[in-house]
Amino acid sequence: MLLMKIKMLNLRRCSSVRAGGLLLLLLVSRIGLTTARADAISDLASFSIFDKVDLAQLAKSEVKTAHGPPMSNPRFLAVQSCYVATGSSPAQQIQALRQWDATRHRELKVFLHSDLPSNPTPANFDKLKSAPGNSSVRSFVAETQKMGSGLQISKEEAKKFSPGAGGGGGTVPAAVVAFWADVLTARTKSFVSGGMSAQPPYDHAGPSVRAGDEVNGLLREQGKIRSQFSALLGATGIGRGAGSLKPELYWELLEADDQGIITLGASYSRSGAGGTYQAADVLYYASGGYYVALTLYQLWPVTVDGKPSTLVWRGDMISAASLATLHGVERLGSESVMMKNITKAVTFFRRDTSGGR
Amino acid sequence: MKRFECEIFAVICAASSLLLATRIFAEEDSGNWLKSVSHVPFEYNAEDTYVGGGDVQRGPNKDVRDFDENDSIVHFVFTPRTKFGVLRIGADWERFSFGLPDHAALPDTLQSVSLVMGLDMQFSDSIIVRAEGQPGVYDTEFDNLGYDNFNLPFLIGGTYIYSPSLQLVLGVSVDIERKYPVIPVAGFRWKIAPEWLLEAVLPTPRLQYEMNKDLSVYVGANVKQTSYRVDDDFGTTNGIPRLNHAILTYSEVRTGAGLDWKISHVLTATGEVGYQPYRNFDFYRSDVRYHQDGGAPYGMISLHGAF
Repeated sequence: MLLMKIKMLNLRRCSSVRAGGLLLLLLVSRIGLTTARADAISDLASFSIFDKVDLAQLAKSEVKTAHGPPMSNPRFLAVQSCYVATGSSPAQQIQALRQWDATRHRELKVFLHSDLPSNPTPANFDKLKSAPGNSSVRSFVAETQKMGSGLQISKEEAKKFSPGAGGGGGTVPAAVVAFWADVLTARTKSFVSGGMSAQPPYDHAGPSVRAGDEVNGLLREQGKIRSQFSALLGATGIGRGAGSLKPELYWELLEADDQGIITLGASYSRSGAGGTYQAADVLYYASGGYYVALTLYQLWPVTVDGKPSTLVWRGDMISAASLATLHGVERLGSESVMMKNITKAVTFFRRDTSGGR
Repeated sequence: MKRFECEIFAVICAASSLLLATRIFAEEDSGNWLKSVSHVPFEYNAEDTYVGGGDVQRGPNKDVRDFDENDSIVHFVFTPRTKFGVLRIGADWERFSFGLPDHAALPDTLQSVSLVMGLDMQFSDSIIVRAEGQPGVYDTEFDNLGYDNFNLPFLIGGTYIYSPSLQLVLGVSVDIERKYPVIPVAGFRWKIAPEWLLEAVLPTPRLQYEMNKDLSVYVGANVKQTSYRVDDDFGTTNGIPRLNHAILTYSEVRTGAGLDWKISHVLTATGEVGYQPYRNFDFYRSDVRYHQDGGAPYGMISLHGAF
């Protein structure tokens, strides 16, 4: 099953349990002190699958997840979620997202994470040498050394691999580190200069697939979401040329479908009217497992129990060749796993950012 | 689990009707949820098994020796996605043919044709529930059908997704014509390692090793139990009048090893060989039972897939 890239917004659990004697007070607080700006709730309903949200109820619960509408392309899958981050503004949520470290949690299977400058060099990928020696990483190394059909690279990139280049031992041999450092450096630079449309295709061992086309397909099949985020997306390199917004770049080594993969990501965020925020996090390159993954966030300032809080909507969408082989209940199961992963990541995030509440 | 049966013509007709019904359902009742779905997905299976000469025995003196078996299955189910889950609407046909010697008090054909009507529902991010019935005709030669040849076995089962690697299954199979009408089922599916998968769930438990993305080998079993009604004069013809129009519960277990070859995204070929250690013809309401007295080797081939 697919492991989604996990980055999320900070949220703090609302105060919840009250003694029975305080029931009346609780009722009053729900009615009187929980206020959602009408535009937040209606805005959420207008583009998401959460058409009826009780803010007070949501604030007391864990993240609410549901599968997105079915899409005609069998490679596509989408899950939407929403939750309330109590006691924290949208701006604070965005900041917490930037600082959160998913590698602290083994369950999320993000082995390495490293931020990248806008003009990276191969040295920015040196951390790959210190990859853990688990079976996923070993399979990643083996696949690289044989230039296996599971690798998502271009034919031109594949020609650059030299098994004998460099020496050294360790989990990831020097030749493998050198190869990926070159590939990832070039892909990062092309993303910075030309967005996703400048990315080389995946055509090393199969039909040509372009990550930009995939992300555009994902958005095209979710018209309401695309419309909601059109202004933000238009300023980014997601599915198009380089945008005006400056991305925060990173790379990760993680596990997808039991295989180690290397992925490149870019995050964008910007504020909107009335204290709202929108953010986008795209994995625009993956060495295997999935073609592209996109997570969109919409944040509204709300008040819960008298505290300034944030209503968060999150939309996760992914394109993967393996999804096309799933049908019926298998696809339901895949969605369930994706929802569980998102819920799990939110839980970890809360634990990390709210003192274990 | 019961399988459906009938003539192939009937299956095709049923499938055509169901396709129409599914499209109508999709257009009229599912609103926006199916608007973007340009085709109706389906799954299929065509399977044939040959079992070599085996023996059964009734009491100390009455036996049937060295008879072979052919088991054919055609299974076709549409699986459109709706707001409520994944619908399962289709048809199934299964026919057992036995090479019995003359005067054996056993039917040489058991067959059924039925609809498949089910729904897979996602109750949460951890629980998926399947409810599926197979209303149809469960008979021998289909030459003297009556209302009591109709049966509606069904199952309700839930899968708890503990993790991507481990799922727990709990369910119940109901067939009022069976000797034990309600049979609980429990099991699990455990991905032991990237290449190893253990599916300890009836009716087809198996341990599978994925050699590559197109080729897997496995060892496992197939447990079958279905009830059929025999002809009105079956008992008289065979010297046991109380078997006229009687219910026969036929059971068999196959254990073997096989190979799945994924020829394309929509077509997988499976070959399996093994041994049939258990077989039972049980007219349980008439207290006549032929039990296994000698197993037999078998071979199975199938083509299956999903669109």
